[in-house]
Amino acid sequence: MVAIGDGVISQLRRGVLEFCVLALLRDDERYGFEIVRALSQADGLVTSEGTLYPLLGRLRKEGVVETTWRESPTGPPRRYYRLTPAGRSLLTAFTAEWVRFRGSVDTLLETGALT
Amino acid sequence: MTTTTSLHPVAADYLGRLDRAARRLPRGERRELVEEISAHLIEATEPAMSDAEVLTVLDRLGDPEEIVDAQRPQERPRTDSRGLHEWAAIFLLLFGGFIFLVGWFAGLVLLLSSRAWDTRDKLIGTFIVPGGLAAALVATVVSASTETCSSLNGGVQHCTGGASTLRNIVGIALFAFCLLGPICTAVYLARRAR
Repeated sequence: MVAIGDGVISQLRRGVLEFCVLALLRDDERYGFEIVRALSQADGLVTSEGTLYPLLGRLRKEGVVETTWRESPTGPPRRYYRLTPAGRSLLTAFTAEWVRFRGSVDTLLETGALT
Repeated sequence: MTTTTSLHPVAADYLGRLDRAARRLPRGERRELVEEISAHLIEATEPAMSDAEVLTVLDRLGDPEEIVDAQRPQERPRTDSRGLHEWAAIFLLLFGGFIFLVGWFAGLVLLLSSRAWDTRDKLIGTFIVPGGLAAALVATVVSASTETCSSLNGGVQHCTGGASTLRNIVGIALFAFCLLGPICTAVYLARRAR
């Protein structure tokens, strides 16, 4: 038996993760912990929750999300993330691309040919 | 949920380890990362939790080193990128003009194809000064020749006399620019490619 290289899966994961974050923010703003817990509940998407925070910081630096502080009913203020217009159009573009990509790979994996 | 912001000792210890691991990050990034993880711990743990419960939260969070590594990718190209390719580009942009000018163009190709510099760096490298130090030599020759006699209308010699002071100043300024420009650019490019 040949095992799938761990590198392949982690590269795939790394490639799509930022778009998963953007997708989570499509309809509503969310605070960091909320985003991290939502993603880590998805099967096979996140190996360690902590590494998502650097990703959130990078998305903010790239201008695809923006943040605001809001009071929390239970503790210190929370930093909320929401999509910027640039983030929204990036998500739309990725969604279209992903559907094509997934379709081709699925077809190949299932039938062994592109019909 | 409790409203207190004091952390479980095991979580506080973890946060300390993260802060130490994050020492290699730029100050702003380090502060923000520790702030975010601290907020995470406040949400996910409570001081009254058992050690085992807190350790479970920390396991999910991951190793502090791993988290700091995830912050690094944007730093990595800056530290690794000053390789042979970049030093060759800088050297050839500076001195390549003396190798029949071809050397400078080779330097230009290396500059433009490197990922260590952004567009602004590349523009500066290209235009200050085309030809590199060889341009200073050309500038000297040109300004020297304009100071002497120039041939006008087929054989009539026109010699510059009174205007030569101005010419001299312009010539010296041009020479200084062609000499200092490439040197400053080389230093700039070497620093920016980090």
